[in-house]
Amino acid sequence: MPTLDLILEVILLTVKVAVLTQIIFALPMPLTWLERKIAGHIQVRLGPWRVGPHGILQPFADAIKLLFKEDIVPDKADKILFKIAPLIAMVPAFAVFAAIPLGDTFKIPVIGAEVKLYLSDMNVGALYILAIGGLSVYGMILGGWASNSKYALLGGLRCSAQMISYEIAVSFAVIGVVMLSNSLNLLEIVKSQGGSFLSWNFLYLPVGPVWFAIFLIGSVAEINRIPFDLSEDEGTLSSGYHTEYSGMRFSFFMLAEYVAMVTVSILSVIFFFGGWNAPFAFLSFIPPIAWFMGKVCFFIYFFMWVRFTLPRYRYDQLMKIGWKILIPLSLVNILITGLMLI
Amino acid sequence: MEDGKKGLDIFGLIKSVLFTDFVKGLVITLGYNVSRSITLRYPDTEKWIPYRRWRGMHTLNKDANGRELCVACELCSRACPTQCITVIPMEDATGRGIADRVAKVWKVDLVRCLFCGFCEDACPTTAVRLGREYELACHDLSCTVKEREGLLKPQPVPESFEGGVVVGARFVRTPGGISVVADLSKSRKRAL
Repeated sequence: MPTLDLILEVILLTVKVAVLTQIIFALPMPLTWLERKIAGHIQVRLGPWRVGPHGILQPFADAIKLLFKEDIVPDKADKILFKIAPLIAMVPAFAVFAAIPLGDTFKIPVIGAEVKLYLSDMNVGALYILAIGGLSVYGMILGGWASNSKYALLGGLRCSAQMISYEIAVSFAVIGVVMLSNSLNLLEIVKSQGGSFLSWNFLYLPVGPVWFAIFLIGSVAEINRIPFDLSEDEGTLSSGYHTEYSGMRFSFFMLAEYVAMVTVSILSVIFFFGGWNAPFAFLSFIPPIAWFMGKVCFFIYFFMWVRFTLPRYRYDQLMKIGWKILIPLSLVNILITGLMLI
Repeated sequence: MEDGKKGLDIFGLIKSVLFTDFVKGLVITLGYNVSRSITLRYPDTEKWIPYRRWRGMHTLNKDANGRELCVACELCSRACPTQCITVIPMEDATGRGIADRVAKVWKVDLVRCLFCGFCEDACPTTAVRLGREYELACHDLSCTVKEREGLLKPQPVPESFEGGVVVGARFVRTPGGISVVADLSKSRKRAL
């Protein structure tokens, strides 16, 4: 017989899952707007402007357009795989959030109840995120394969090769963080960086910045963003693995991509920039969630900023960076980190 | 020259380790990001007023007493390389024009017109001038031929206004069509 506490706990967890899923589902809307706005302003244009003030309603217009578009399945495509590939790409992007904490606990001001800002306090959180995050490549490969199109297939293959190469470097960077923080639990990793900004993993000199650089470069490659978006290189592959997709199925791929960007921003903050800890002790009157959101927003901006700063790498350059620089560098860095921790 | 390539480029190595080129690029794009956009917000709030030398839609001018300057000499239609101007003269002693010969019909087919300004040059009384009106698009062919009556109306941008600036504007939708009404009191130079 379950106790009342257990039932309440389950209800609370369900509500939290529902709310988080809704938020993540809605998140690409402001992000697409932001990306187009930033693209516009970096190119000294205005970006979306006509739909609502400063084009703020543009994502809704886009969403309506995507909903009403015809859902085309190519004649010779593998129908089942073609239809489920966007879901396979999207589900891991959401599943990762089961282990990602957005804060420690949050006291609701009026009723005084404490809400945990994470779904599960997983003791292998970092491992889980790497494992599930790596699964989303299946959606892209299957999408590319099932389309029965040269461009899509090449995009999917490039995507898989790129993901495999950079997954290793990213995993090494996470190992570095785990060595520095002595835990695989994301809450513990954040706790170990408490105090001032000097105890952030990023400033664990000299290895911290190197780990961060490896993590950031590898992550940008893994979420398929410029300068490493070879899998959807419109110059050579028209649109990569989602060439044949249209309407909502296409938007699921985009959704997965944006959610992945948010995930990587959150992970950068948690692993290297102290999570929800304030950079100075005297600034801790600002709620932790505000610090966390601020840092995550900075990283999201950073990814968009980089996108409109750098050109795309050539494919061989991409592989060279992955295999010849990042992986040896991370191996050496593990050695140095280990020596420093003795 | 070859030796320089073989040696270890310490400076270049340090530069690539510290991502200096990358940071430089980021600083440049950040500068653009916070800079003012060059987009002209036409037709919502801004409109470009061309210089006086602009050759837009034709205007027929009047003198200080309000008499038409056109004497219907038909030189403009002769000078026109596309034969888009039609002039039919008539006699008139009521003082409508500066002479007793005025235009019964003076019309220009803007679809044929190539805005070369030969009519302007040919006109002995400076009656024809190419104005600064450039919003000539319309839904059917009815508005492509401009008659004398319409062309005699005063211009929305007076000749005294120098132009070459972006002015405030208002987008007006009426059942008769759309127009962009310029507000000449607010003006700024174009960004680039």
